[in-house]
Amino acid sequence: MAKKQHKRKTVQELEQPVVKLDVDYSAVDKEPKKERPYGRAYLGARSAMPEEQLFEFAEYRPQDAERTGYSNYSYWKSVWQNFVRNKPAIIMSVVFILLFIFTFVAESLSQYDVATLRQDNQSIFLLPSSEHWFGTTQAGKDYWVITWYATRVSLALAGLVAVGQIIAGTVIGLVWGYVRKLDRFFTELYNLIDNIPTIIYMTLIALMVGQSLGIMAVTMIAFGWLGTARNVRNLVFMYRDREYNLASRCLGTRLWRVLFKNIFPYLISVIVLRLTLAIPGTIAYETTLSYLGLISEEYSLGILLRNARDSFLRYPHMLIFPAVIVSIITITFYLVGNAFSDACDPRNHV
Amino acid sequence: MSQANVQAVDFDARARQVLSQTPLLSAKDLEVTFSLRGNKLTAIRGASLDLYEGETLAIVGESGSGKSVFTKCFVGMLDKNGSITGGSIMYQGEDLAQFTEKDWLRIRGRKIAMVTQDPMTSLNPLKSIGKQIQESVELHQGIKGKEAKAEVIRILKAVGIPEPERRYKQYPHEFSGGMRQRVVIAIAVACRPQILICDEPTTALDVTIQAQILDLIRRLQKEQNMTIIYITHDLGVVANVADRVAVMYGGQVIEIGMANEVFFDPKHPYTWALLSALPQLGVKGEKLPAIDGTPPNLFNKIKGDAFAPRNRYALNIDYIEEPPMYEVTATHNVKAWLRDPRAPKVEQPKAIERLSELSKPTGTDPNAYHPHLDPNRETLLQVKDLQVTFGSGRKKFVAVNDVNFEIYKGETFALVGESGSGKTTIGRAIVRINPITKGEILFKGERISGRISKEMDTKVIRSLQMIFQDPMASLNERAKVDYIVSEGLINYHLYKNEHDRQDKVQKALQEVGLLTEFSSRFPHEFSGGQRQRIGIARSLIMQPEFIVADEPISALDVSIRAQVLNLLNELKKQRGLTYLFIAHDLSVVRFISDRIAVIHKGQIVELAEAEELFAHPLHPYTKALLSAVPNPNPYVERVKQLLVYDPSVHDYSVDKPVWSEIKTDHFVYGNQKELDGYAAELGL
Repeated sequence: MAKKQHKRKTVQELEQPVVKLDVDYSAVDKEPKKERPYGRAYLGARSAMPEEQLFEFAEYRPQDAERTGYSNYSYWKSVWQNFVRNKPAIIMSVVFILLFIFTFVAESLSQYDVATLRQDNQSIFLLPSSEHWFGTTQAGKDYWVITWYATRVSLALAGLVAVGQIIAGTVIGLVWGYVRKLDRFFTELYNLIDNIPTIIYMTLIALMVGQSLGIMAVTMIAFGWLGTARNVRNLVFMYRDREYNLASRCLGTRLWRVLFKNIFPYLISVIVLRLTLAIPGTIAYETTLSYLGLISEEYSLGILLRNARDSFLRYPHMLIFPAVIVSIITITFYLVGNAFSDACDPRNHV
Repeated sequence: MSQANVQAVDFDARARQVLSQTPLLSAKDLEVTFSLRGNKLTAIRGASLDLYEGETLAIVGESGSGKSVFTKCFVGMLDKNGSITGGSIMYQGEDLAQFTEKDWLRIRGRKIAMVTQDPMTSLNPLKSIGKQIQESVELHQGIKGKEAKAEVIRILKAVGIPEPERRYKQYPHEFSGGMRQRVVIAIAVACRPQILICDEPTTALDVTIQAQILDLIRRLQKEQNMTIIYITHDLGVVANVADRVAVMYGGQVIEIGMANEVFFDPKHPYTWALLSALPQLGVKGEKLPAIDGTPPNLFNKIKGDAFAPRNRYALNIDYIEEPPMYEVTATHNVKAWLRDPRAPKVEQPKAIERLSELSKPTGTDPNAYHPHLDPNRETLLQVKDLQVTFGSGRKKFVAVNDVNFEIYKGETFALVGESGSGKTTIGRAIVRINPITKGEILFKGERISGRISKEMDTKVIRSLQMIFQDPMASLNERAKVDYIVSEGLINYHLYKNEHDRQDKVQKALQEVGLLTEFSSRFPHEFSGGQRQRIGIARSLIMQPEFIVADEPISALDVSIRAQVLNLLNELKKQRGLTYLFIAHDLSVVRFISDRIAVIHKGQIVELAEAEELFAHPLHPYTKALLSAVPNPNPYVERVKQLLVYDPSVHDYSVDKPVWSEIKTDHFVYGNQKELDGYAAELGL
């Protein structure tokens, strides 16, 4: 039975196009349909071979020779396999995904909404209870809905800013690193912006242009690309003069194609790391700005933490809930970012 | 040069010497496993080897054969993720395989020392040379201070470093590659080890330097009565140094014998294939008998003989059971089923017989077409007064100066020189990667250097292509073969539709002998030879007329070089291609090229038809280069006379040198007085 299956495979193998190699193997294709086993695939058939056949010549197939050494590989499959191996990162990403989905459904679980005020004096600063799961604020609003609403705002802001920063930083960094003529220009631009503390720009813009989250997001992107760009530029130097880039020049490949096909893929692990770290970074930054009173949004995790600073000694729930959520987000992105960036690095794929 | 290698070797006497001894070191069924992220790689699969006192043993094999890992076990220098999982290494009554790191301190460096391949990375750049050797001397010989310093200076002198007192204080960057390798050797022999393991000691060096280093090691061996193991893939080096040769494949020693036995009477099909694939043994214009495919993947479990799928003499049993060691003579053992009495009798390939005639010129096909001899020869590419400089101001460096040559349609024009001679710079200037400072380059009579129109630019890119040296670096690791090969097509939209593009890619892959199914894979799945062929397919798809091949085979294993050489020759015939073949190895160049230009320090010193250059070299540099070419015949290689080129023989203070055609198609660089001398040499 087993032998039969092997034979069926034989025919399939033979139907593959026979490639002509540069050396004359007149012996090879003389009788291509001969039903004699050859190659690794027919070990089963060979083991059952009578002894006198053992010392006959096996059929020589150049294809089989070409195939030795071949391994089955797919980049993203290996990335996934490596990532899955990191258990803490997997657990934290599941926790985060649940948390993310929960921000959308949490408010509908409560009978209150963000705008509802309990108009009696007894309802301010209520501790968590079965009616108000996270207690209430000093204005008598339900803290559960406010916390989840704020989480959503913060995540949206962080996502937007992080993605914006990374895209701007990567594109600028690639051009900065690869185009020699522009190196000077970007270096001076970098120094110009980087030498003045960002907080001064932020304060000026908050005072002169406005304090809405939108304006802050744009400002954070406008100053946040620097680090990524410099990092990317330094990495581009490692790959810029490799022979495959010279080959692309010989083939007349345009600059943008070289940047995104030849260099960008090598930087994925670093960019992923920066992206995942930029999200908690932005949340932390937003918290700082809110703390300093530079953001006039009604609710975000940063604002909740700022509001809690006066009352958390007496009403710890005001601090604990947003703080726990900020921590979960930060830790998740840190672990996942590191795990994913390691997984993206092909040196870690065997 | 040195007296030691002028006398021919008597291998029979050495064989008797070996047979009368008990082994100094004896490795038995050694197995080494590496774990790489959960995967197990068995690098050594039961290798056995005996080493006898005072001998020189060469271990030959392609990359991945395990030759380096095997010998690293003898000094306890396996990487952290590797371990000896079976077998034993007996040395002076102790089993080195069981040693702990503490035990090794007694042996490593003192009894068994190692010289590694790359002199650039094996020295500490922040410490002076003298201090580094002194460290080793103080640690192992127990002398200190002034006494140790005197010993260091003695050693520096012994390894042939001039002005040792001054050199003592210098740092590695002040030394050339060859000098650095001398220092590394000095450190290794400083404590007079019994066994010296040289892991590719000359691979990173130029041929002329290589010959000097081999001489040095031979001299030290005689003085200190050392036993030496050479690890190399270069059969020329083996022929030069080895008393005995072990051939490794797939983590096993598959053939071992006296050098004359392995070279002239090999018994393993792999050794046959390895020797007959040598370009030196090829007949010009004919195909080399190449070994197909790639070395085995040691992550997989290997059943039977690892060489079987690439072996044209494979028996059915080779796929089922591993062969035992068969004894051919008392000193010659072979691990191949072909030696079994039940196996069919096979004659060794014809090419190996040519080994004994190697000092004669390579055979040539008398009917071969030589484009430069054609009266209607057409100049395809012309380089006029080319100068290329790097940097500016005080750091200005002239890489190429005043270079002139013409390449005719359909020929292979070789540019030969040592590292840093500017040969690659010329190649890159032609494909316009390096801008030129002076002169011009004409393609079919039209100027292609400097500023050119857009249409001209497109035309040049389509007709001039380049093949790169390092197949590992010249392919984009993150793109599929499909994209890599069709990159040029995409840039100029040279296809009708997606289907047409895929079709062209498949045709190109077939043309270079790769399977069409490879197009959906990534470069790192392929071996060096396959990668190099992918690189060739990438340039071919543009339908070029002229290809600059920049050392296309120097980074490849011996068994794979022939594949690429055959392919280049085949393509030349089919498509009428013209090559500029850049190389440092004259023996390869002789096989493949019609005319050869020799370049030294950015200046072409001689240009002639290939056989003419070998028969009547004129310039002293050409002569030195030719004298150093390794010859894979041990009898010839051992008695070769090394010439050393000394640029101070030229007195160009008054009589300025010119580039002159001394005989039809034979050019040489020299002043009037020298030219007269050269003419006299040629009998003109």
